[in-house]
This record gives sequence, C-alpha cells and structure tokens, in this order.
Amino acid sequence: MTETLGFWVAAVVLVAASLAVVLTPNLFHAVLWLAAALVATGGVFLLLDSPFLFGVQLLLYAGGVVTIVVFAIMLTERLVGESIRQTSRFVFNGAVLAAAVFVGILGFLLQAGAVTRPAAVGDQLGDLGRALVGPFAAPLQLLGVLLVIALLGALYFARAED
Amino acid sequence: MPLHAYLVLAALVFVIGLFGVLTRRNAVGILLGIELMLNAVNINLVAFSRFRADLAGLIFTLFTIAITVAEVAVGLAIVIVIFRVRRTIEADHLDLLRG
Amino acid sequence: MRIGSPELALLVLALPFASFLAIGLIRPLRRRGRPAAAVSILAMAGAFLTAGAMSWQGIPVARGLNPAVLWTWLPADGGPMASVGVWVDGMAMQMCVLVTLVSLLVQVYSWSYLADEPPPSLGRYYAYQSLFAFSMLGLVLSPGFLQMFVFWELVGLCSYLLIGYWYDRPSAAQAAVKAFWITKLGDLGFVAGIVMLWSGTGTFDFWPLFQAAEGGALHVDGLTTIMFLIYLGAVGKSAQFPLHVWLPDAMEGPTPVSALIHAATMVTAGVYMVARAYPLFALVPSVLTLIAWVGAFTALLAATMACVERDIKRVLAYSTVSQLGYMMAANGAGAPEAAFQHLTTHGVFKALLFLGAGIVIHHFHTNDVFRMGGLFGQRPWVGGSFLVATLALAGVWPLPGFFSKEAVLAGVLHAHLSVPFLMLLATSFLTAFYMFRVVFLAFFGHAPVHHEHPEPPVAMDAVCRALAVLTLALGLRAAVASHHVEGPAWLPWISLTWAFAGIALAWATYQAGRLDPARLAAAFAPIDFLARRRYFLDDIYGGTYRLLLLGLSRVVGWVDRYVVDGVLNALSAGALRAGDALRRIQTGQPQDYVYGVALGVLLLLVWAQLG
Repeated sequence: MTETLGFWVAAVVLVAASLAVVLTPNLFHAVLWLAAALVATGGVFLLLDSPFLFGVQLLLYAGGVVTIVVFAIMLTERLVGESIRQTSRFVFNGAVLAAAVFVGILGFLLQAGAVTRPAAVGDQLGDLGRALVGPFAAPLQLLGVLLVIALLGALYFARAED
Repeated sequence: MPLHAYLVLAALVFVIGLFGVLTRRNAVGILLGIELMLNAVNINLVAFSRFRADLAGLIFTLFTIAITVAEVAVGLAIVIVIFRVRRTIEADHLDLLRG
Repeated sequence: MRIGSPELALLVLALPFASFLAIGLIRPLRRRGRPAAAVSILAMAGAFLTAGAMSWQGIPVARGLNPAVLWTWLPADGGPMASVGVWVDGMAMQMCVLVTLVSLLVQVYSWSYLADEPPPSLGRYYAYQSLFAFSMLGLVLSPGFLQMFVFWELVGLCSYLLIGYWYDRPSAAQAAVKAFWITKLGDLGFVAGIVMLWSGTGTFDFWPLFQAAEGGALHVDGLTTIMFLIYLGAVGKSAQFPLHVWLPDAMEGPTPVSALIHAATMVTAGVYMVARAYPLFALVPSVLTLIAWVGAFTALLAATMACVERDIKRVLAYSTVSQLGYMMAANGAGAPEAAFQHLTTHGVFKALLFLGAGIVIHHFHTNDVFRMGGLFGQRPWVGGSFLVATLALAGVWPLPGFFSKEAVLAGVLHAHLSVPFLMLLATSFLTAFYMFRVVFLAFFGHAPVHHEHPEPPVAMDAVCRALAVLTLALGLRAAVASHHVEGPAWLPWISLTWAFAGIALAWATYQAGRLDPARLAAAFAPIDFLARRRYFLDDIYGGTYRLLLLGLSRVVGWVDRYVVDGVLNALSAGALRAGDALRRIQTGQPQDYVYGVALGVLLLLVWAQLG
C-alpha cells in the first residue's frame, strides 16, 4: 500500500517536474526543476529496493550534475550580461513526434505479459560491490579512465584563451 | 506496483525529455532534455533489474550515471566554448554543418 | 648449286653492323661526320672484299646439300620455335656481292654528294647506311622466313629513315611515312602468311620446307592463301601494282639513297624473296600466274607514267617499278633464274643511272628534264656513262640488260603467258622511248642559259665510271659466254627491234623535232591523261584513307561526344542534382537530426509491431 502511494507521489512529481523542465522559459528554473525530477527518480529507485542507487542519484546527479549546469548557466549569463531566456521551436511537431514515440512504446508494453515481483534480496549492496570488483571490474576501470579523459577534455575546452 | 507502471512512467519521462530535446532552442536546455531521457532509461534498467532479480541492471545504471556526469561536464564545456566563440548558444544559430 | 663459307658470310654481316654500332654509339664519331663516313666506307670495302672472296671460294656441291648453318632461337617446349643462321648459296653470294658493291660505291659517292651537309647529319646518314647494308645482307643470307622478316622490316625502317633524311622538308617526311605505311600494308600479309605457314608445317626454315615441297610431301591446308599472303609482302616491298605508289615519292631522299635502296637493293628484296621461296611458290600455279600478270601489268603501267614524267629521278623511279614488274613476271612465269639475273644486272645499271642523274641534278640544279640540255658536250664522261646505262636498260646488245630481259621474255613466253608477254614487249618499247627522251633532253639539245657549271666531284665521277665499266664488262661477259636462253630464235631480234623503235621515236620527237611531243601526246590522249595523273591511284588511296579514317574518327568522335560523354554528363548531372537535393536535408541544426533519429525509432517500433 505504501509502495503504491509512494509510486503515485513519485510519478506525479517526476512527470510534473519533467514537464516543467522542458516548458519553463527560465533556464535557471528549468535546472531547478531538473533537480526535482532527479530527486523524484531517486524516489522511484527507493521504491524499487535500491537505496544505494538512490544515494548515488542524489549525490552525483542531483548534486553534481545540477551544480555543474548551474555553474555553466551562471558563467554564460555572466559572459552575456543578461539572464538567459529560453524559447522553444516547433513545439507542435515535437509534441506530435514525442507522443507518437510514446504510443509506439506503449504498444510494446501492452503486448507484454505481467511479471511477478520476486522477493527482495537481503544483501543487495554486498552483491553489487562484489559484482563491481568481480565480473565488472574491467568496465569499472575503463569507466575510471573515461572519467579522467572527460575531465581533461572539459578542462581543455573550458580553458582560458591564451 | 506492477512492472508496467514503472515502464510507462519511464516512457513518459523519456518522451518528455525527447520533446525537450526537439523543441528547446538553448543548448543547455537540450542538455537538460537529454538528462531526462537518460533518467528514464535508468528507471527502466532498475525496474527490470528488480523484477528479474538481476544485478546487471543496477550496475549498468551506475555506469550510466557516471557516464552522464562525464557527458554533462564535456557538453557544458563545449557549450561554453561555443558561447565564447559565437556569442550565442541558440541551437538555431549553430548551423555550420548546413549543406 | 654452290655453297660458300658461313664464316665469311658472318664476317660480311658483322662488318657493317660493327660500323653501325660504332657510329651509332660513339657520339663524337657521329657528330664529326667525316670520320664516321670513313669508318662506314672502310667497313663496307671490307665487306665487299669478304663477299667477293666468299663468292670466289664458293664450291659447287650436289643439290641435296643444305646450304644453311643454323643456331637455335626462340626456345620453347618441344624444341626451338625458330632458328637463325646464314644461308650461303650461289644466289645469296651473288646478291651479297651486288649489295656490298653498290653500297660501297654509293657510300663513296655520298662522300662528295653530301659534302655540304652539316657533320652531325652526315654521321647520321652513314649510320643509317651501315644499318641498311647490314639489314640487307641479313635479309639476303636469311635461312628462314622469320629471320628474313626481321631483316625485311629492318630494311623498311632504313628506307623510312633515309627517305626522311631531310626530315625538315615536309615533302620528305610525308614521303617517308607514305613509304613506310604502304610497305607495311604488304608486310601485314607477309607476316600473316609466314605465321600460317608455320602453324601448318611447324618450321620457318627454308631447307625443310623446300625438301618437303620438292618431295611432294608438303601438305598444308590453304597453301594458296598462304603463298598469296607472302607474295603480298613482295608486292609492297617491290612496288608492284597497286602498292607501287610509294616508290616515286621515295625520291625525296638523297639521290645516292635512291640509287642504293630504291633501285638496286631494297626494292628487289621482294623479287629475291619470291625467287628464294620459289620451290614453295611452284606448288601454287594460280599464285604464280597472278604474280606474272601483276608483274607485267606493273611494268606496262609504270612505263606509261615514266613517259610523261618531267622529274628525272621520278622517271628513273617509274623505270625501277617497271623493271621490278619484269622481274616479278619472270618469277611468276617460273623463271626465277631469269628474274634473279635481271635483278643483278638491273641493280648495277640502275644504280649507275641514279648516280649519273645525281651528277646531272648537281649540274643543272633542277630535277626537270625540260630545263636541261647539252650536257653530253660539256661532260662527255658523265654522258657516256649515263648512255651506257640507258642502253643497258633499253636492252640493247651487247649490254647486260639485253640478255637478262631476253631471259625474262623467254621465260614468260615459255610459260605460255601471251598477254603478259605482249605487255612486256610493249614495255620494252616504252622503256627505250622514255629513257632516250631523258637522254636527248638532258644530254643533247640546247644547253640552258646557266650561271655556273660546277665540276662534278672526283669521287662521284669515278664511281660512275666504275659502274659504267662494270656494266660493259657484265654485258661483254654475257655476250662472250655461250648464252643459251630457251626461246624462239626471233626473240632477240624482236626485242632489239622494239628497243630501237623506241629510241628512234624518242629521237624523232625530242632530238630531230620531226614529231611534235604535244601531237604525240594527243594521239594517246586517254593514256596520256591518266598517266599524267598517275592513274588517280594516289587520289584513290588518299580518298579511301580519308574516307575510312575520317569516317571512323567521326564515328568515334560522335560516340565519344554523345555516348561516352553523355553517360558521364548524365551521371555527373544526376549526382550534382541528387547532391543538391540531399544537401537540403543537412540543415546543420542538431535538433533536426534528432527528429531524424526519433522518426527512425518510430519507424522501427511500427515495423516491429506490425511484423
């Protein structure tokens, strides 16, 4: 019962926040709405018995990404000297296409049968940790490399002009 | 809640993100749309992972989040560079690749 | 049958070749001119002496002995495909002596004749001369068709090079190209013929072919076609109708070259080849008859053209064509010995005629016989030499032309070829007429008013005298020797009568003034008209060539312009237009690409659900 309630709350918040992200004219507000959507997503993760991912979501996404975007917006606004309004183009076309894709996906979902939810695993975090250093050790290392490269790349792009 | 509920929710968030990507003029706005789409994917992955009792979905989600962070960092760096050079981040005006 | 020493034959070949290599490769020697000439003349003198010694030493042998010495060539599976070597029989040795002698004399003559040439040109000239001598000797000594063909083409090349010696004159360059192409036309037949013969018999060599032919063991399909094709080579090289048109134009080359190549030696290669391969031709009577008819017709046709020609060298050129027709007629009539005899005597006195004509041209500074006159009084020695050669060509006793012509006529008569015989008789009348026309116009009559009369250089004079003496000696030897020509007793008389009739007509027309040349021409108006225009053969060739080549090039041009280019243009225009249309898709706006991706996803979804 709590799960159902939680889901609906999270779902409504998530959808509403998402819509706000794509519709708000103010870019800064959009970022804040994104933070809300990300937190709601974290709630969904909680509902799916993944508290660890919830933590990661809050820390990295809601914390990291939103911070970076806010920085970027502030930086560009400082450069341009005015608050950036964002406008939309071809709203109708975009809505139709997005709706069409949604209907397409829905068609798939309707065809699929129901799946029962298995019982929750006891030590999910432990299993996750073992999997990361076990079978997924190599991708994890590659991921680390990727992050370093991304960091260097971002630094390179954003460096001050000589 | 059944799996379908999560999947429909994810699909909804995904198309909202798609809508944002398609309609936003501002490059940062487009990036925000992409973030929404990636989130929807994450919801899908976690939901499947939970309902199929398979840890791989969780791990993929972790990776997606990490990669997203990197992508946002690089993407925003590019946006700033573009802004410096072109004095705009309106995607409409960024059409150097036009044939 | 006599055979000679193959070692000496190789030496005869090696001397001019070494001279060619030395002049060709040692640049300072060639650029100096005179030293190159000396080297070439010395080598030629050596070759002449060697050839003489070889001929002298030649030992008579029984008929069944192979006169060839062979080395294998073109190794292939199952034995060599061909061989090279020397074939030293009596005919080859006699020919070697003739070639080396005339070459030597011509080279000595050229020393003076081309004295005004710049030294590098002179070196080039003597390099060609040496190469020619080598090639001609190689042709003469060939023991097989393949080697003969190789040297055959080499002499053709030398002919081309020497006709075009003054290559900065457009007419000479054109004549060289014309000679080359027209002889090539015949050579195509020649090479096709020998390849077909090879595929039928498996050998290029004369000896096994002759053995089989004489033993009746030569069974080749289409031998008639093969021999006809081989004969085509001779038609081109020996200027037989209808491929004779190159020879008069070949007179654009220096006069000594005309004497050597286009009178005495190279043009007789066709006659020599047919005489050499006679055992094979004997198997195909139809081709032989054709050879005789074409030869006689060529003789008559060329003689009529010689009667109206004003250029002294061209008169001699037509006369050469005419005499080659005689030789070929003898070949065709089954008398290759007569053909060969006429070939050798003609080689000597025709060389003399050309070299004498060179002095005449040198004297009058013109080739036009109507602007000459009275040379006999001023230069009796030159006139005498020229007269001796003219009498020999006209066939007057006791000069060598008389005997060889009689042999030819007897051979033709013996083969019951009455129409060719009559043609040849008419030709001998015309020969006497046109030669004495030249003699009376150039050597007698009134000397034109002239600014200077240069003394002919000693070398040129001496060479002419030597040849005149040789002509006389040959004639006297033939007269003294008991000559036994198989023919009716009236034959020598009738041919002499015709010759004197021709001389008399020429005298009456051009010397005594009893007959008006214009009226004489009017009496034979159609022939005169045609002969003056060379029977339109050059025009026909030119027209055909132009028609074919221009027609072909128009077709090719049209295809290229409209079909090939059209396809390419259509392709490029299509590509451009398609690219232009596709270009619009590329707006450069990222979101439009996202639209594309989303539409693609949608399509995939629809397709997956419907499928």
